[in-house]
Amino acid sequence: MTERDPRRSTLPGEPPAPASETSTLVGESGGPTDGGRPEAAKRDGRPRFAHASEAELARILDYYAVRWEYEPHVFPILWNLDGAVVESFSPDFYLPDFDLYLELTTLRQRLVRKKNRKLRRLRELYPDVRIKLFYARDFRALMLKYGRLAVADELSGALGQVVPERAATEAPTAEGPAAEPSDRAPSEASAVVPRRQGRRRAAVVAANEP
Amino acid sequence: MSRSIDLEADIAEILLTEEQIQAKVAELGARISADYAGRELTLVSVLKGSLPFMADLMRQLTIPVRIDLMEVSSYGGSATESSGLVRILKDLSSSIEGRDVLIVEDIIDTGLTLNYLIRYLRGKNPRSLRICTLLDKPARRLVDIPVDYVGFTIPDQFVVGYGLDYGELYRNLRFVGVLRPEVYAELA
Repeated sequence: MTERDPRRSTLPGEPPAPASETSTLVGESGGPTDGGRPEAAKRDGRPRFAHASEAELARILDYYAVRWEYEPHVFPILWNLDGAVVESFSPDFYLPDFDLYLELTTLRQRLVRKKNRKLRRLRELYPDVRIKLFYARDFRALMLKYGRLAVADELSGALGQVVPERAATEAPTAEGPAAEPSDRAPSEASAVVPRRQGRRRAAVVAANEP
Repeated sequence: MSRSIDLEADIAEILLTEEQIQAKVAELGARISADYAGRELTLVSVLKGSLPFMADLMRQLTIPVRIDLMEVSSYGGSATESSGLVRILKDLSSSIEGRDVLIVEDIIDTGLTLNYLIRYLRGKNPRSLRICTLLDKPARRLVDIPVDYVGFTIPDQFVVGYGLDYGELYRNLRFVGVLRPEVYAELA
C-alpha cells in the first residue's frame, strides 16, 4: 500500500523508522535484492501495517500457512537527470513460495488511478516481476467469501487507514486522511526521467499523466 | 433466523443450468476416465461444497474409483477462526500412499485452501495428485495453482447452488446462480 519516497527514511509525519523497517532498494540490475536486508519492523512480532486491510490479508495468509513478507522490496520507478531515484514503489506483500507480489488498495478511485499508473510503470520497467493488484472490490469479495462482509467497511478505504501517530495531529490534506502521504507525482520543476526510456518519451509521459 | 428465504427468488441470474452442468460433468468424466485408463483412482472430495459434483462425477467415471472426504476449516468461519491456523476438520479415512489421487473441488477462487490441501496431501506420498474443479474463478486467484480439469471458468461474481453456499444455504439448488447482492446485506 505504501509508496515511499526513497529520499526519505520514513513517510511524512511518521516517526523515524527503526533500522529494521528499511526495505531493500531494488538494485541496479533491476531485480530485488535481499543482500543485507534487515528484517521488517515488527511490533509484537508483527509488522506495522499501514492499513487495516493489510493486517487482515496477513491474517488470512497466516491462516492458510502461506509465507509472506511485508514491503520487503522497493522498486525505483522514476529518476531525475542526475540519476537519483525520485519515485519508487514498494508492493505490500511478497509471497516467496510463489514469487508473487500483492498490492492491496482499498482506497477511493482517484487514488487507485495513481496507483494504477505506478503499477503500469513498474511493469514496464520490471517485466519479470509478478504482481497482482487487489482492489477494494476484491477485498470486499474476499470478506464476503469468508463471511466477514459485516466488517469489510471497517477494514477498507479511509476507515481502515492507520494514521501515523504524529500525522494524527496534522490537518488533513485536501484528499482527506486517506491520502497516502508519499503517493504524489514529482513536482513539475523536477526533471523526471524513467531510466529505461528515452528522455523525449519520458517527458511526454510525465506531461500527460494526471 | 427470522428472515424467510425463498432460495430461487434470491438468485439474480442463473449462470449455469442443470443441463449445462450435467453435460460438463459427463465430459469431465470421459476425459478423466481416458486419462486414468487401466488405473484405479481415488477421488478426494473437499466438503461441503463439492459433494454434488463428486456424486455426479464419480458416476460418470468408467474406471475403478475409491472415494474419500476431507473437510478443512475456513477463515472467518467462526469468531475464533480469524486467528490461528487452518485445521483439518475431517481427515482421509484411508491411506493414499502410492495411489493416484484426484482432488475434487466445487470452485477455486483464491486458491488458498487448495494450496494448503495440496501440500498436506503431498505429504502422504500419493503416486500422483491432480485437481479437478467444476468452477474456476481466476480473477480472484491469490496463489497460482495448476488445475488439471476445469469445468467452467466463471466471471467474478458471487455464485451459489450445486453445493455452493452463502451462510450454509443454497447448496441444494440444482443450478449455479448469482446471488442478489441485497441478500448479502440481509444475511451479513
